[in-house]
This record gives sequence, C-alpha cells and structure tokens, in this order.
Amino acid sequence: MGEPQKGLLSVIEKLKGSSEQEVRIVLLGLDNAGKTTLLKSLASEDVNTITPTQGFNIKSVASHGMKLNVWDIGGQRKIRPFWKKYLENTDLLIYVIDSADKKRFEETGLELSELIDEENLKGVPVLVFANKQDLATASPASEIAEGLNLHTYRDREWQIQACSAVSGEGVQDGMNWICNNIVNKKK
Amino acid sequence: MKHFLRVVTQFFLFLYCKLLWRVLKFVVRKFTGRCELQRICYNNKHGARRTLKIESSLKYSKNELLQTALSVHSDKVEKAIDDIMALKKINPDTNPQLGISLQASLLQIVGYRSLVAEVEKLRKEPYDCENPEHEDMLVKLWKELRPDTPLTGRISKQWCEIGFQGSDPKTDFRGMGLLGLHNLLYFAEHDKATALQMLHDSLQPKHNEITNPEWEQKNLDKAIGFSFAIVGINITDLAYSLLVSGALKTHLYNVAPEMPSLLHFQQTFCYLMQEFHRFWNEEDPCDIMEFNRVRSKFHRRILRQLKNPDMALCPHFSASDLHLINL
Repeated sequence: MGEPQKGLLSVIEKLKGSSEQEVRIVLLGLDNAGKTTLLKSLASEDVNTITPTQGFNIKSVASHGMKLNVWDIGGQRKIRPFWKKYLENTDLLIYVIDSADKKRFEETGLELSELIDEENLKGVPVLVFANKQDLATASPASEIAEGLNLHTYRDREWQIQACSAVSGEGVQDGMNWICNNIVNKKK
Repeated sequence: MKHFLRVVTQFFLFLYCKLLWRVLKFVVRKFTGRCELQRICYNNKHGARRTLKIESSLKYSKNELLQTALSVHSDKVEKAIDDIMALKKINPDTNPQLGISLQASLLQIVGYRSLVAEVEKLRKEPYDCENPEHEDMLVKLWKELRPDTPLTGRISKQWCEIGFQGSDPKTDFRGMGLLGLHNLLYFAEHDKATALQMLHDSLQPKHNEITNPEWEQKNLDKAIGFSFAIVGINITDLAYSLLVSGALKTHLYNVAPEMPSLLHFQQTFCYLMQEFHRFWNEEDPCDIMEFNRVRSKFHRRILRQLKNPDMALCPHFSASDLHLINL
C-alpha cells in the first residue's frame, strides 16, 4: 500500500519477519567523505547545516519489533583509532569515499584494507559509496573500485555504488543492495 | 461518529475560549482605560519580559496594522509606533514614556529578525580559497592562536594543532560556512585569554589515561583531547540553532537595548565556548567519542536557562547595566 519506503525505513521494512531483533550498520570513511550527510539524508533530515563530527552520531529506527542502528563515526585521523571499538556485532559496513578527493584515494584505500582485516568484520558485507558524484571533478565508481582492489575481496559480499548524498541520487540503490544482503546473510 | 463529535466539541471550545479572551480584553480595557500594549509596558520591566509579550500581542492581533508592524524595516519603526498610538487613540503627550518603550521593543523585534537574516547569509557563504578576504581571515586565526609559530604553508599539517581535521581547513567549515570562521576569529581576537586556555586544554591528554600503560602502548593518548577549531564550528551550529529557533530572544532582548547585531551574536558565541569548556571539564568524559552526548546535555541546559525571562548569557552585559545606560 502506498509508495515504497525510502532510506532507513526501507531496510527495516525489508527485514520484517526475519528472526533478527537488532541490526547494526557502521558508516566509516575519511573526514569530509560525507558520512553524516548520508546518515541525515537516510533519515530524511536537513543536510544544510552539517558540521564535522566529533565522536559519532547514531540514528535508530524501530519498527515491527525490530531496531536498526546506524553508527556514523568521525573520520578525522585522530579519531580513526577509535573505529575498532565500534565494529563488534556489525551486520554491515558502509564505507564512504569522496570521489572528488583524488589526493587521498591512497589514504582511504589503506584505511579500508585495514578495516577489512579486522576480526570483527570477518565476512561482513561491505557497501562502498562513491559519494559526491554531483561534483564535476568526481571520479567514476568503476575507477575507484579498481583503485581499491575491490575485486580481490573473495570472503564477503561487496558492492560499489556511485551516489550523491546531497542530491540523494544513487543512495536508495545502495539501500536496496543492503536490504538484499543483510536479509540473505541473516537467513 | 464519536470522532466527529469530538472535533465539533473542540471547535466550539476553541470559539468559546477565543470569545472569552476578546471579552476579557474588552472589559479590562474599559476598566483600566489602557489597551493591551499599554498594560504590557506598565506591568513588565523592559527587556525580554516586556518585548516577548509585545511580540506575541502583535503577532496574534486581529488588526493588520499591528501584525505587519512585526516585519517593518528598522527605519520605519518610528512611523509604525506613531500609527499604533493613533490607532489605539493614545495621546503621546500624556504618555510620553509609552512611545519610547514601544519603539525600543519593536526595534528589538525587527532587529532580531534582521540578525537571523544576516547570520543566515554568512552561514550560506562557503569558504572560498580564491577569495583573499577569506584566506586572510584564516591566516589571522592562526596568528592569533599560535603567535610564536609561523605557518609553514597554506596547506599544512600544522592546522591540526589548532584543531582542524586535516591539512586544509576549508573543508571543515561545511554547513556553517563563513559564520564558523567569523566566530572563531572573534573569539580568538576578543576573548584571547579564554581561547588560548581552551586550546591549551584541548591538547592535553587526560592524566588518568596517561598512567594507563595500555593507552600509551596503543599511542592513543593524543586522541583524548577535543579539537578546538572543530568544536568552535560545532558550537557555532549550536548558537545558530538557538538563534533560528527563537530561543536566543530572551538573551538578546535582555542585552541589546535596541537592535541586536552580529556583535551580540559573536559575544554569545564566546559565552557558549567558555561555558562549554567548563561543562566539558565538569562532565569529565573518558574520550572524544562522548562529545555529542556532552554537547546535547549542554544544549538542553542552555535551553532551560533561556526559559527564564531574566536570563542573559553574557554576565558583563546584564540587563541591570543596560538599565543605567539607556533608560
């Protein structure tokens, strides 16, 4: 009935009826990648007054006796050592990349490869958002995927999705992938 | 059917209350010989107590002249007051103080509105590396906070020392745009001792953590303090949301004798930085990851304080001082 749900609600809608009670998604990436903007756009909140994240933000959606928690953790270098503390029991990792920040592709690739090796993220599906596609200088998602060597990931489901958190383009496609992959893993 | 009846009852109740209110106002007016605006001015001391009531009286008035008075240009305030006095048949010669009081309040009201517009304009202006004015302000900020250390380059890891996230601060201003930079610079220039103390404290790892060998081993001690500049941009967001939501009216109506200006807003920012710094120390969080918890607690506390109509967030600009200067 009515229009299909968007953002976080679409994920919880899809999970309806699975045995899981609580789902945990962690959003990571370098500073200025657009994690908070993505989180706010998923929760249909205003994205015009965002400031750099000190610590973390969390959004929770509860529906049908289920709870979806999305953690957005600051990407500043001095906060990155704290990332590990938030990985336990994670069901899915969203890694956000600023597609226009070519100078830091190597840095973001290193951080991602370190995360992938974490024990707590073993086998956890990864969605990489190639964000900021609205900027003229953005690199295409395929190029970023190659730079990150995503095709070498054999131990988990992964996907790269071009998007613009500001305009919302591509975000729902990523959410649809999440729906399918969390559900598959849980069943 | 039950629902329908409830709606009808509510509607009649609303009409009844509205009628009762009008009758009450009419009776009081006949009885005291004063209109609502006069009564507000006589019964409330100047500042937020009076101006807030005048604002809501004008807002809910059924007379168009009174309603539109809220959005007149500041140059037209005097004329608007003359019109209101004429409409209410108040003789300015027998009530000389009333016109002055009303004018001061109306100036505060329209001034607040134009301050919101001015702040919003600054917030929407993104930091631009091509703009020499922006670049100068940024470099000046460095010089104020690190007077003894020259900056090695415009793009430099040194920016992290004053609490930006990376080697180029431009991306850190984000949703706060130039407003964040203006505030930080004002704080560093006009409240220098506090700013330097806060910067110093932000760089200090907590003592109890230092003695913990595990933390030293993982080399996490540097991550314990907060980032001064980023916190400044965050507190700018706090000040901005207080202003836009109208919560700052209490404070600004108490401290600004006439139109509140950008200067008042920047002083409020300094106050919020000082208080946040103190609050952070009192809360004594384990690490930076608790920032948003502490920040929302602080936000709630400020909102609670602003509910008190006598509240002023700048102690050195209290309402009583203004009383001596202006009226």
